[in-house]
Amino acid sequence: MGDCNNASTESGMEEAEEELIAAAQRILKALESKKYLTEDARKILANLGLQLTNMTSLFAESRVIEVESNEEHNEIELQLNRISDKIMVWEKDESMIWDCGPDEAFEYLKAVEESRRLTEVLENRSPDSRNDDSTLLRRAHDLLQTGMNRLEDEFRHLLVQNRQPFEPEHMSFRSSEEDSMIEAGSVISSGDDSVDDVAAAAVHRDSMGRSSVDYVIELVNVDVIPDLKSIANLMFDSNYGRECSQVFANVQRDALDDCLFILEVEKLSIEEVVKMEWKLLNSKIRSWIRAMKLFVRVYLASEKTLAERIFEDLDSVGSVCFAESSKAAVLQLLNFCEAVAVGPHQPEKLMRILDMYEVLAGVIPDIAGLYSGEAGTCVTTECKDILKRLGECAKATFLEFKNTVASSVSTNPFPGGGVHPLTKYVMNYFKTLTDYTKTLDEVLRDEKDENTPREEEEEEEGPTGTQFRSFFDILETNLEVKSSLYKDEALRNLFLMNNIHYMAEKVRGSELRIVLGDEWIRKRNWKFQQHAMNYERATWSSILFLLKDEGIQNPGSNSISKTLLKERLQGFYAAFEEVYKNQSGWSIPDGRLRDDLHISTSLKVIQAYRTFVGRHINHISEKHIKYSADDLEDLLLDLFEGSQKSLHGGHRK
Amino acid sequence: KYIPPPPPPFLSINWFRTLLDTFLCCEAEFKAVLVSGRDPSQFSKPPLDRLIPDLLERAVKALDVCNAVSHGVELVRHWQKLGQIAAAALQQTPIGEGQVRRARKALATLLTSMVLDDKDNPHGKSAAAAKDRRGSFRSLSWSVAKSWSAAKQIQAMSTNLAAPRGAESTGLAMPIYIMSIILVFVMWALVAGVPCQERNGLATHLPVPKQLGWAQPMGGLLEKMGEEWKKKEKKGSGTGLLEEIQRMEKVAQSLIDFADSFVFPLEEEKAAEMAVQVAELAEICRKMEEGLVPLQQQVREVFHRMVRSRAEVLEVLEQVSKSSVPVPY
Repeated sequence: MGDCNNASTESGMEEAEEELIAAAQRILKALESKKYLTEDARKILANLGLQLTNMTSLFAESRVIEVESNEEHNEIELQLNRISDKIMVWEKDESMIWDCGPDEAFEYLKAVEESRRLTEVLENRSPDSRNDDSTLLRRAHDLLQTGMNRLEDEFRHLLVQNRQPFEPEHMSFRSSEEDSMIEAGSVISSGDDSVDDVAAAAVHRDSMGRSSVDYVIELVNVDVIPDLKSIANLMFDSNYGRECSQVFANVQRDALDDCLFILEVEKLSIEEVVKMEWKLLNSKIRSWIRAMKLFVRVYLASEKTLAERIFEDLDSVGSVCFAESSKAAVLQLLNFCEAVAVGPHQPEKLMRILDMYEVLAGVIPDIAGLYSGEAGTCVTTECKDILKRLGECAKATFLEFKNTVASSVSTNPFPGGGVHPLTKYVMNYFKTLTDYTKTLDEVLRDEKDENTPREEEEEEEGPTGTQFRSFFDILETNLEVKSSLYKDEALRNLFLMNNIHYMAEKVRGSELRIVLGDEWIRKRNWKFQQHAMNYERATWSSILFLLKDEGIQNPGSNSISKTLLKERLQGFYAAFEEVYKNQSGWSIPDGRLRDDLHISTSLKVIQAYRTFVGRHINHISEKHIKYSADDLEDLLLDLFEGSQKSLHGGHRK
Repeated sequence: KYIPPPPPPFLSINWFRTLLDTFLCCEAEFKAVLVSGRDPSQFSKPPLDRLIPDLLERAVKALDVCNAVSHGVELVRHWQKLGQIAAAALQQTPIGEGQVRRARKALATLLTSMVLDDKDNPHGKSAAAAKDRRGSFRSLSWSVAKSWSAAKQIQAMSTNLAAPRGAESTGLAMPIYIMSIILVFVMWALVAGVPCQERNGLATHLPVPKQLGWAQPMGGLLEKMGEEWKKKEKKGSGTGLLEEIQRMEKVAQSLIDFADSFVFPLEEEKAAEMAVQVAELAEICRKMEEGLVPLQQQVREVFHRMVRSRAEVLEVLEQVSKSSVPVPY
């Protein structure tokens, strides 16, 4: 049926053509004999002439195109055959092309590029060209896919084989001083020795918040970067960009994972960290701090540079690949922060938390600089959130510590009346904290203690100053409560004298002086001196009464009663011995303070004794003088040594 | 007249997103009940002196589950990208050996990754094999501690969960119990939904009190999902119950079969069949593209919320337990 139609159309066409030819011949004949043409006629004929010219040239063109098309087709086929050999020969070869030398690699790339070009050419050929164009196109795509597949493997191979080892020990800015600081700073004991270590080391602590210049290392041997670049460009040009990105992201993700492993950053769950015992956690935090700075400023920066170099010609591909490959590692580091922030608020953690806070705050600008666009906002927001949580954790830890001190209850008075371990711990703790005043100001903001009366100098003070003051007030209050456990008023005052003196000295001899001010120190000095005076009064007032001249006269006369004198002296000696027995076991740890009290007591007591004996020497027989003034002076020196002595029976003469 | 949109298909990404939204609402209400307007001194007395620390510990465990789930979603995103490569290749016309091979490669990587069950620990015996098969993306999936197990975590979270009885059932013990059940269920659902490390032995029974009215819908869901889970476990599939993953697995398998039997030229019938499958794969990828990142963000939101609530409860606790144990001096 179709054939029939074709036949009739064909014969129809033939007929129409015959008519056309006949008409044309008639026109030619008419023109031969015509000498004169009207305007209209001329126009019509000119049109006709033009149309005829167009037709013939079009016809000629399409003939040319057809011929050209055929030629091109054949050319393409030849090309395909040539590159097919170049590409397929490697399919049987196990070795990596790029291992075999730059010429081989170049030839292969050229061949694959050619197959890509041919697919483009074939796709752009006019639709009514030959049918077997599609066969060529299929072959071209086939070759292209083979090439792309191979290039993917080569790309991966180049990346992996040429990785440079990452050696953090050789990183120049890793200082060992930093390590010793963190080591010493982790132990806040009651003894003053280790505290001095902390002070010394604290001086060496660098400002971790300072953002140093990114230090870029070669993660991949720089010689192969151009090769990687060529392969990447070709893959993207051929619309195989997804495969290329994936290989890159996968390989680099593994590399970053290895890096964290080398930096001793473990994959810990939040639960593990929360339950971890402090000593172990402390060392993990050390590792994290060291790792974080190196990782962000050196390793990540280098990763980004690598991605940018390889994908240099490809717009935003570099930054997208970098974001993909680094996401997991960054999250792992941040997760550790989260875990620490979620953990219990033990006071010994505060310094480490503040360290982490400072490090994180320091690297946030670096991180913001490394990531762009949406990935950038995402990561930076995450970091800032975690920073906030660390800050809140620090604040909670600080307040929890304050709470603990405020509610610390003792059942018995502290033996010896010396410096209470709590006082030592708190003062040394705060001495170390002065390293962090700037960070503490940020962290403690909005938590101004409304209960402390604000004095003039506190108006411009930051939260740190206010909090420190408040804390020490609480310590003092607590010490007062503890002191009320002493039945002996003298001991009670001694205890308070010792502790407040300790506090004042610690502040005076450290950076706490800057935080609290001289006025604070003056007030405490005044306070402990008050307690010293109270102690003396409580100890010696009644005893000194015995050395007064009133009441030793015989009743009714002015003469001195020998008996009363003897009684007085005996009373004095007994009381002195009692004091000696008790107070030799008491303690004044500070050498200077001890000396001061010895001197003060000596001036009061020994002087009074000397005067008394001197005045009444005529009425006293030698056998009644148990101790000379010098003897007593010497005995006084035994006081406050912290080891109890007794004078029963033995005496020096 | 307003016609509400149809509910999302069971276990699809949107279904999980709805689940998480619901959880966040419950959590907000619970926190209001717990923290504000109640006498905090109750916290240090029985039964709250035991229940609240339990609650806080359970919350910490849930944080780790959220992290594992986030990583799981990341793996699914990776599958999505592979699916997109395959779909794009197979949508070329006319289809030739080159495109089919390209698609096949992507699909093979995809299926291998899915079929590997999740006890294939990157540092275990099969590490080398796993690395080859997975095409070196070991660190993609398991960014958690080696010894961590999702199944064990859920198990641990379900202990100590008994309905308060008698006098205890007034006061805060009941809301705490309810919230704990909800938390465990949601975490379990997430773990069952996306690939997570070590889900072998994941319990399909949780201590959901089916006799209590409010728990019945949850119990029903648990049963339904538990059945699905058991079926998948039998097949040894390491994927997850997420509807899009399930569909992707099926369609990827059938497309790989197609690729293996591909001969040019393609018959019209086969071409049409394949086109349908490819369209489905493309659609699944599109759904994933739309929904996975928001899902991750929601999981992150759940994480943040739990951290915050836990901190608030801790603050109350710390204020309340001011009376510390007295020391000798």
